[in-house]
Amino acid sequence: MVNLREILELLADNTLKTGLPVPIPKNEIYEWAEPLGLKRDGDTYLFTGALYQLIPYIESLVKYLESMESKQRASKLLVKASRVLTSIPSLSKLALRPSKESIENSRRILRSIATLLNIAGVDYAYLYEDDMYSGILLYDLGLEEEFSRHARSVYEKLKTRGAKRILTVDPHTTHALREIYPKFIDGFDLEVINYIELLDTKLRVEPKTANKEIEVVIHDPCYYARFEGIIEQPRRLLRIAGIKPLEPKRTRDLTYCCGGPIEAISPHLSARIAKTRLEELSSVSTRIVTMCPICYSSLSRVASSGIEIKDIALYIAESLAGEKSLE
Amino acid sequence: MSRITFSLEHIMDKVLEVISEEEFLEGVRRATISAEVKVAGILEHNPFIAELAKEVKRVKEHVLNNIDEYIEETIKSLRSVNANPYLAESREEALEYIGKIVGKGKTVIMSKSMVAEEIGLREYLEAEGNEVWETDLGQLLIRLEGSKPMHSIAPAIHLTRDKVARLIRDKLGLDVTGDSPEGIVRKVREFLREKFVSAEVGISGANAIAADTGSVVLVENEGNIRLVTGLPLRHIVVTGIDKIVPTLIDAFKVAIVQAAYGGLYPPTYINVISGPSSTADIEHTRVYGAHGPLEVHVVLVDNGRRSALSDPDLKNQLRCVRCGRCQFECPVWQHTANIWGGPAYGGPMGIAWTAITADIHGASSLAYLCLSCRRCEVVCPMEIPLERIIRSLRRKYVVNLKA
Repeated sequence: MVNLREILELLADNTLKTGLPVPIPKNEIYEWAEPLGLKRDGDTYLFTGALYQLIPYIESLVKYLESMESKQRASKLLVKASRVLTSIPSLSKLALRPSKESIENSRRILRSIATLLNIAGVDYAYLYEDDMYSGILLYDLGLEEEFSRHARSVYEKLKTRGAKRILTVDPHTTHALREIYPKFIDGFDLEVINYIELLDTKLRVEPKTANKEIEVVIHDPCYYARFEGIIEQPRRLLRIAGIKPLEPKRTRDLTYCCGGPIEAISPHLSARIAKTRLEELSSVSTRIVTMCPICYSSLSRVASSGIEIKDIALYIAESLAGEKSLE
Repeated sequence: MSRITFSLEHIMDKVLEVISEEEFLEGVRRATISAEVKVAGILEHNPFIAELAKEVKRVKEHVLNNIDEYIEETIKSLRSVNANPYLAESREEALEYIGKIVGKGKTVIMSKSMVAEEIGLREYLEAEGNEVWETDLGQLLIRLEGSKPMHSIAPAIHLTRDKVARLIRDKLGLDVTGDSPEGIVRKVREFLREKFVSAEVGISGANAIAADTGSVVLVENEGNIRLVTGLPLRHIVVTGIDKIVPTLIDAFKVAIVQAAYGGLYPPTYINVISGPSSTADIEHTRVYGAHGPLEVHVVLVDNGRRSALSDPDLKNQLRCVRCGRCQFECPVWQHTANIWGGPAYGGPMGIAWTAITADIHGASSLAYLCLSCRRCEVVCPMEIPLERIIRSLRRKYVVNLKA
């Protein structure tokens, strides 16, 4: 069925060669920031880990793997062969066609995060062409030697830029830099701060009492809730923005995974798990808040029309942008 | 060591099949939702159980750190209560030993035991020409279906009542329908009653074994264990060396923790068996084999357990009490049940148990279906770092691939 070895080699090769798990134009990683004119030098850097930017391309790859999984299964049932060999072509030959909408969505989220940091009065610089992928997928696939090499090169680059503090924007990159990098890099001394944690301490505004309160259902990402203990902060931020977070049945430290982490191994099982979670969330509200690009992508993949899935940064930025809310 | 080769590639067909089978998913869904709610309720109303779990964790760690001494003490204590202990290093040794005790052409009744499943005991005894009956309803259904247990305490979790009725009708020829679970249970009870009475050998597992007294402790709700361990002249216990705890009190603690975290509290029965039955009612002289068994054999199975103690990650799995809560709460398991697993065990804890007792390479490939979401770790009463263990298996898979 799945050829585990092939998938491992595919993702590992590409990450080691290009620094990214799937081929994506280099400028795509920092293009989102162009209109903002963020400063280039400092000791506190915004490090996106490229996960938001990668998602449109990963979505395209998963769509391809999903059709492979279906095809292999169908032909196997047909010929009753014990094994059907279908090779995945190398990623560079695979034309990934990310949707424009998905690319624009990721850019909008990152711009919202940058804007919110500005509103909160955070002094930070952006890495632009030195913004990099954390390599977390290598670690998750058990390719620790490769991960270690990748992590060291990321760390060296950050040190070269004079970084003392790193601001992260997604749960996986946050966990990778805060908890995993120090295990692989001797003398790792970067302070890693997640933007939700930072906004929670810096944004000092009265909770907005909107005319019509928006109710949303909150989907905690596993890596915030169970790995990094980021549970109350996003709820407080939503309330400040005049949004009422509702809780699904399985929430906080018992939150339910979106299925995303196995999307390359079995796209169908991954989607089935996403569907279970989506049903649970949408039974509470058709407005779903995510905080992780992987969750966003997994749940969107199985969502029907009428369900709105939106990143927390967009909700808060839409509500607060333009407001004077410095501490 | 491995009797069945298996890998992620092998199970994926079946996984893709069941995730499009609404009957299967619905069966598992009903059971897991009810289990999640039940366990949470039990723990809320009995806060002492969480404390008890911490004690059990400490005690089990202590035993595992001194396993050889505890095996020795257990064997001594078993002898002192006139039970026959046997330490089986491998599954083959366990099978051969039990095969000799049972012999051929016998009627054997079994209560549910994951270790029996692990070593393939039923198949072995049947191949030796014995008539073997599973008496746990779930386990009986699994056998009739020709599949494997889908959960450690709820083996037939994936079967809806209609499917259960179909199996019983087709395979046992009993007149039952899906409208009445009560009717099914009554008919099966009548059917098995005759097997209980005629069986020469009863085989059970164990939830815990007390090293100080040689007592075997078993938790159950159906009442079949009382009959399996009480009616035949011979009783064989087959269990892992990881079930040893220092004292009989500790063994009770294990029983309570296991039942509570499995969602069945209070358990209907807790059985304590310290050797064969006896009477001293004739001239105050002890005679063995009164109403219960004349012989009690306790087979302590290693089958990879002690060597797993030298693995810094896998060794943590050995304190597992097999409540199966990690399975109930796992998003992958909730869609695949134990199909995501090896020959006997499945789900988060099952991947590790498969690595320990069957085939580490096969288990390592299964590890790639884990979401690394840590939901299992949060709910495990023994605080087993399941996510870390599964991650370590993926690391081993890569090392093996490169070699």
